[in-house]
Amino acid sequence: MTVRDVYVIGVGITSFTRLEYPLSEIAAYPAMMAMKDAGTRDIDHLYVANMGGGRVNHQTGLASAVVDTLSLTPAGAETIENGPASGGSAVKTGYMAVASGLHDTVMVTGAERMREVNNLEATDFVATLTHPLAEHIYGVTLPSLAAMFTRLYMEKYGVTERHLAMVAVKNQNAALRNEFAHLQQEISIDGILDSPEAMTNNPYVAELLRFFDCCPVSDGGACVILASEEVAGKVDRPLVRLAGVGQASDTHAVHEREDPTDLLAVRRAAAMAFERAGLTPADVDVAELHDAFTILEIVESEECGFFPKGEGHLALERGETALGGKLPINVSGGLKGRGHPVGATGVAQAYEIVHQLRGEAGERQVDGARVGFTCNFGGFGNNVVCLVFKREN
Amino acid sequence: MPREIYAYKCKKCGHVHYPYRMVCRNCGKNEHNEFEPVPLPKTGKLLTFTTLYSLPPDFEVPSLGLAIVALENGITVTGQHRIDEPETGMAVSVEVEIVRRDGYDEHYGMVFYKA
Repeated sequence: MTVRDVYVIGVGITSFTRLEYPLSEIAAYPAMMAMKDAGTRDIDHLYVANMGGGRVNHQTGLASAVVDTLSLTPAGAETIENGPASGGSAVKTGYMAVASGLHDTVMVTGAERMREVNNLEATDFVATLTHPLAEHIYGVTLPSLAAMFTRLYMEKYGVTERHLAMVAVKNQNAALRNEFAHLQQEISIDGILDSPEAMTNNPYVAELLRFFDCCPVSDGGACVILASEEVAGKVDRPLVRLAGVGQASDTHAVHEREDPTDLLAVRRAAAMAFERAGLTPADVDVAELHDAFTILEIVESEECGFFPKGEGHLALERGETALGGKLPINVSGGLKGRGHPVGATGVAQAYEIVHQLRGEAGERQVDGARVGFTCNFGGFGNNVVCLVFKREN
Repeated sequence: MPREIYAYKCKKCGHVHYPYRMVCRNCGKNEHNEFEPVPLPKTGKLLTFTTLYSLPPDFEVPSLGLAIVALENGITVTGQHRIDEPETGMAVSVEVEIVRRDGYDEHYGMVFYKA
C-alpha cells in the first residue's frame, strides 16, 4: 500500500498548570496558536484527545464543542480517548487520515482539565483504567502499580532510589527552561533524598516511590497540525515530517504478564515506529519519554532501544540523557516537570520534538537535532504509542 | 459458605486465566463461556508489594498494603496484603474478604497474610 508523507505544519501549547477556563477552551487555545504558526485556517478535520471530560468535567462530545468554538464547522471532528495515551493515539489517527489521502490538513489537539477535582479524586479517576475486578476494587492506583514494578526492577537490575531521584532532579530542573512547564521549582538530590528533612520534603506515595517520583496533576492543552506534502510546501516553516508511528498493547491486568518487568508494548510500539520511519534508535537526537513516574523514563529508554535492558540507569549516571549528553531525554521537563494533563501529554511530546527539530527551543535546544522520538504510555504499559519525527530541510 | 474467587480454565486447551476474558489467550479457539471455573489456590509466594499512602477517597484508612502474588498453581493475582514486614519471595496464605466499600456495595477480593 502506498502512503503519503505526513508533515507537521503548525504547533501550539498552553501553560501546564491550574487553568481556570473551560475544557473546550483549553483545547481551542493551542489550536489557535497552531493555526497562527502554520498561517492557515484551512482545516479538513479535527481530532481532539481527552480522557476525563465526561467524568471529571461533566462534558462529553468534546470535539463538537471545540470545532464550534474555533468556528471551523462544518469540518469533521471527533474525540479520541485512549487513557493517558489519548494524545499519541490522536496524532497517530491524524497521521492515518493524511497518509491515506482521506484529508489534506488535519488538526490534532489534546486537552485535560484535572484540577477541577482534588488530587485524590484525580488519581482515582486515572485508576479507573486498571482492571475493574482484578485491580481497581483493591484500591490499586497507577502510583501503586508503578511502585510494585519499581521494587521488582530494583531487585533485578540494581536500580536504586538514588537513580529515581536523579531522574526527578534532571527533569524537574529542566522544566525551569520551559516557560509552559507546570513545576517551576528547583530541587536537589540533597533536598529530596540525602538531607534530614528529605523524608518530610519527599514522603512515600507508594513505597518505594516518593512524592517527587510522581508527575503532578495538571491542566493543559497542546496542538499539532498535520498536512500532506503539497500543503506543507506552501507553508513557510521548517519542514518536519512525522516519519513513523507505532502502537501496541499488553494484558489489561499487570499481574498477568509473564515477566512483569518486561514492557512488551513499549518495545513493540517503538520497533514499529522505527521500522515505518526507516530509522533506528541510534539515529535519534532528542527523545520525549512518558515519565509519569521516574522509573518509567529509565525503563522506556531501554525498551525503546536506546540502551541495553537493565542499563538505562547507568546511562543516566553517565549524564547521557541530560541536555548536552549523547541522547537528551525530556529536556522539556517531561511529564514530571512539564506536567501531565493526560489527554494533552502525547500531543505536548510531539510539540516539543517539532520545536526541537525546527531549532526553536531556545535555551533547552538540543544542538543540531534532526531526528526526534516520543513514547506515550497508556495504562500501566497496556497501550503504548510511539512516534518518530525527522527534519527534512 | 466460604466465598471463593475463581480462575477460568479453557475447555479447549486447558489454559487457566485470571481474570476472566471472553476468548482464550492461549488457543483463541473457544466460544463464549467455554471456560470451567476453578477455585484459586489458597497459598502462594509474594512477588512484589507496596504500601500505598495516597488512597482513593473511599478508603478510610491511613495506608493500604497491595501485592502481586504467584499462587501455587502458577497463576498470578493482585490483592491487598496485611503483612507487617513483607519480603519478596515469602510464603503467603490467601483469604477472601471485603476489600472495598463503595457506597452501599461491598466488594470481595483476595487478602494476603503471612503463611
